[in-house]
Amino acid sequence: MEELLRQYMNLYYIQVLTLICIMMIAALGLHLITGVTGQLSFGHAAFVGIGAYAAALSNIHWGLPFLICVLLGGLAAALAGVLVGFPSMRLTGDYLGIATLGFAEIVRVILMNMDITGGARGLAGIPRETTLVLAFVLAAVAIWTMYRIQDSRFGRALVAIREDDIAAECNGINGLWYKVSAFAIGSFFAGVAGGLYAHFLQYLNPSGFGFAKSFEILTFVVLGGLGSIPGTVLGTTILTLLPEVLRFSAEYRMMMYGLLMVIMMIFRPRGLLGGVDLLPLLKRMLYSLRKKQTPLNGDGNGRSV
Amino acid sequence: MSTPLLELSGLTIRFGGLTAVDRLDMKIPVSNIRALIGPNGAGKSTVFNAITGIYRPTEGRITFQGQDITGKHPYRISALGIARTFQNIRLYKTLSVLDNVRIGAHGIGRGGLFGAIVRPPGIKAEERRINEASGDALELVGLLRKKDERADSLSYGEQRRLEIARALVSAPQILLLDEPAAGMNPQEKERLMLMIQQIAARGVTIFLVEHDMKFVMDLAQQVTVLDHGRKICTGTPDEVQSNLSVIEAYLGKEEAV
Amino acid sequence: MTTDIVLQQLLNGLTLGSTYALIALGYTMVYGIIQLINFAHGDVYMIGAFVGLTMVVVFGINIWAALFVAMIACVLVAMTIERVAYRPLRRSTRLAPLISSIGVSIFLQTLMTSMKGPQPVGFPQVVSNTIYTIGPVKIALVQIIILLVAAALMIALQLIVKRSKIGKAMRATSEDYDTASLMGVNVNRVISFTFAIGAALAAAGGVLIGMYFNSVFPLMGVMAGLKAFCAAVVGGIGSIPGAVIGGLFIGVAEVFGVAMGLGSYKDAIAFALLILVLLIKPTGILGQPIQRKV
Repeated sequence: MEELLRQYMNLYYIQVLTLICIMMIAALGLHLITGVTGQLSFGHAAFVGIGAYAAALSNIHWGLPFLICVLLGGLAAALAGVLVGFPSMRLTGDYLGIATLGFAEIVRVILMNMDITGGARGLAGIPRETTLVLAFVLAAVAIWTMYRIQDSRFGRALVAIREDDIAAECNGINGLWYKVSAFAIGSFFAGVAGGLYAHFLQYLNPSGFGFAKSFEILTFVVLGGLGSIPGTVLGTTILTLLPEVLRFSAEYRMMMYGLLMVIMMIFRPRGLLGGVDLLPLLKRMLYSLRKKQTPLNGDGNGRSV
Repeated sequence: MSTPLLELSGLTIRFGGLTAVDRLDMKIPVSNIRALIGPNGAGKSTVFNAITGIYRPTEGRITFQGQDITGKHPYRISALGIARTFQNIRLYKTLSVLDNVRIGAHGIGRGGLFGAIVRPPGIKAEERRINEASGDALELVGLLRKKDERADSLSYGEQRRLEIARALVSAPQILLLDEPAAGMNPQEKERLMLMIQQIAARGVTIFLVEHDMKFVMDLAQQVTVLDHGRKICTGTPDEVQSNLSVIEAYLGKEEAV
Repeated sequence: MTTDIVLQQLLNGLTLGSTYALIALGYTMVYGIIQLINFAHGDVYMIGAFVGLTMVVVFGINIWAALFVAMIACVLVAMTIERVAYRPLRRSTRLAPLISSIGVSIFLQTLMTSMKGPQPVGFPQVVSNTIYTIGPVKIALVQIIILLVAAALMIALQLIVKRSKIGKAMRATSEDYDTASLMGVNVNRVISFTFAIGAALAAAGGVLIGMYFNSVFPLMGVMAGLKAFCAAVVGGIGSIPGAVIGGLFIGVAEVFGVAMGLGSYKDAIAFALLILVLLIKPTGILGQPIQRKV
C-alpha cells in the first residue's frame, strides 16, 4: 500500500500527511478534555510524550508487536491522565490549566533524567513502523469514536459538566468520575498518537514534549473552533501545514506562524469554525443551489442566502 | 402519621459568622405541595442547596425516605429521587432544548464509554427510553415544538419551564422549585400553576420557594415561613396569612412598599 | 548543611527569587485585571535583557542608563502588544487572548533568534566583581545591586498602586471591571498602564539577570517566565505581595534544591511547589477564596 502511494506521491508529502494524522489523534484527545468537557489542559504534550516513550521502549526492550506497543503507549498515557484528572476535583479553570502545565514540565524533566529514556541525549533506534495508511486509518477511527462518544449518554454528561458543573451534579452526574474519564480517554488518544509519532520519527527527545508542544496542540483545538470535531480536524491540518507552507521564508517562518496565530484569533476569536454549525450550513447551501435551478415564482418570497 | 418523605431536623448552615439557616425543622409528607416563603435573604435557597448536597450543613440532619442524606454528593442525592430547579436559571445554555432534558434523564440510563462506542442493543433501547421520556417531559411543559432550539434562545418563562422539564424527566419523588414564577407574566404564572398541579397529580411531591404570595397561597397546601434563617411558622395558607409574626416579617414589609 | 551554608544559599536564593518576583508582578497584575495569563510576558523580560545588553555594548552607556532605556523600551513593546493582540479580544472567549499571547510569544522569540542567533550572548561585566564578607556570608556587589534595585522597584510599585490615582483605578478595575468602567474609570488606560508597569519591572529583571549570569539568550524568557508565573500562582494570583513572596519562595527553593543535589531536577522544583500549593490551597498563599453563588 505504502509502496503504491509512493509512486504517486512525493515522500515529503507523505511525511507531512502522516504527521497531520498523528497530531490529529492527539488533538482530538485534547478536544475531548478541553473542548467537550471544558477542563483546561496546558500539558497535553506530556501525555503524547509518555505514550511515545512507553511505546518505543516496549518495542526496543520487549520486542512486542508494533500495534501492541502503540496500545501500551495509549494505556500508559491514560494512567497518567487519571492521575492528572484527580486535581480537577479541587481546581477549576485557569488553575487546573496551570496545574497540568506544572505536571507536564515535571514529566519532561523526569524523562530528561531517566537512564532508560536516554535522558537529554534522546532515544534513538526506534524502528520505523508508522505508515501514512495506518495513521490515516487510526485518525479516521479516532474521529468516528469521538462522534460516537459525543452522541451518547456518556458524552452528554461530559458536555453538561462544561456547560454548568453544578447543574450537572444536580442532574445525577458524578462530576469527578466524568472529568477523570475525560482526562483518561483524552490522554489515551494522546498516548496512541505518541506511539505512532515515536515509530514515525524513530528518535525521541524530552524537549519535544515541553509546554511549547502542549500549546501547539491547544492551538489546534482552539483555532479550529473549540468543541467542534471538524474544527479540530481543520485546525490541526492548517497549523501543521502552515510551517511547511511558510518554509520558503526560511528563518522568518516561525515569526510568521506566531503572527498568523494572533491575526487568526483577532478575526475569528471563536475559532475558524466557531459558531458555525456545519449541517444546517450544508442544508442551506443545497437549498440555495436548488433555488437557483428552479425559476423564481415571482411572489417575492424567495429567500436568497 | 407515616414517615415523612423529606425531613429536616435542626438544619443549621453558617457561612463564616453569618447564620443563613438556624435550627430549621421541617417535615414534608408524600404528595404534598409545600411552599417555603420569607423575605429576601431569609435563607430559602440555602435550604434547597443543603437538601441537594451543594452546601454541607454545619449542623443538623436531612433524611429522605428515612435515609440520612446529610452531606452526600449532589449526584447521589439526585439518584435517590430529588430533583430541583435553580433560582438563577442554570441551563446548559449552548445545547439544544432536547439535549438539556436528555441530560436531565441521565439517571434513567446506565450507558458508559463502551456503550457509547459499541452501542449494543441494550444501549440503543436505553437511548430510546431517554428520548421518549425527554419528549414526554417537554410535552408536559409545552416546549416539544422548540426541542431543537438552543436553550439560551428561549424566553425567560420558557427557560424556567425547560428547567422543570429537565428536573422532571428523571422521575423524581420530590421536585424542588426555586422561584419558578420569577420573571413570568400573569398568564404564564397561571399556566405554570396548572402545570405544577398536573405534576403533583402524578404523585410527585412539590417543595417550592416563591416570592409571589398569590401564587403560593393559591397553590400550596402548606406553607412554611422563614425569616433570618429561622422558622416562624408552618400552616395552611389561611393560617399563615393570619399569623401576626408573618405579617410583621414579610407581608407587612411588602405592603409598606 | 551547616548554618553558614544555609545562610549563604538563602542569600543566593533571595537574589534569584527577587528577579522571579519582578517578572511575577507583571503576570499577577495583568491577571488581576483582565484574567489573562499573558504568556508573552516572559519574552518581554527577554527583550529587556537584550535592550540593556545592546545599550551597554553598542552604545556604551552606563548600566543605570541602560536599565532605564530597557524599561522604557519594554513599556512600549508591552503597550503595543496589549493594543494589537489583546484589546480586540477582550470581550471574546477566555482562550482567544491566551492563544494570541502564545502567538506573540512565538513571534518575539523567533524575532530575537533571527536577529541574534539562538546561542547565549555574553553580558559584559558592568560592575566590579567585588565580594564582601559579612560574617559567614559572602555577598557579591552584583547581588547587592540586584536586591536593592528589586526592593526599590517593589516599593515604588506599592506606592503607585496604593497612593496614586491610577493605582486606585487599577485596584478598582481588578475588583470589578464592569463597575469600574461604569464609575468613569478609563479601563483601557488602566489596562495599558498595568501592562506598562509589568513590562518595566520585567525589563529590570532581565537586565539584572544579565548582570548576574553574564549571559542572555532569546529563549531565556521561556523558563524564567513559566517559573515566575508559578511564583505568581503560588503567592496567590492577583496579589502583589503574593507575587513577591512567591518569587522569593521559588528562588530559595530552587537554590536549596540544587544545593541538595537535585541539580538536574532544578526546573521541576518550581512546578512541584506549584502543584503542592494548588492542591493544599487552590488560590495560592495570599489568594482570596473563590465564592461561587448558586
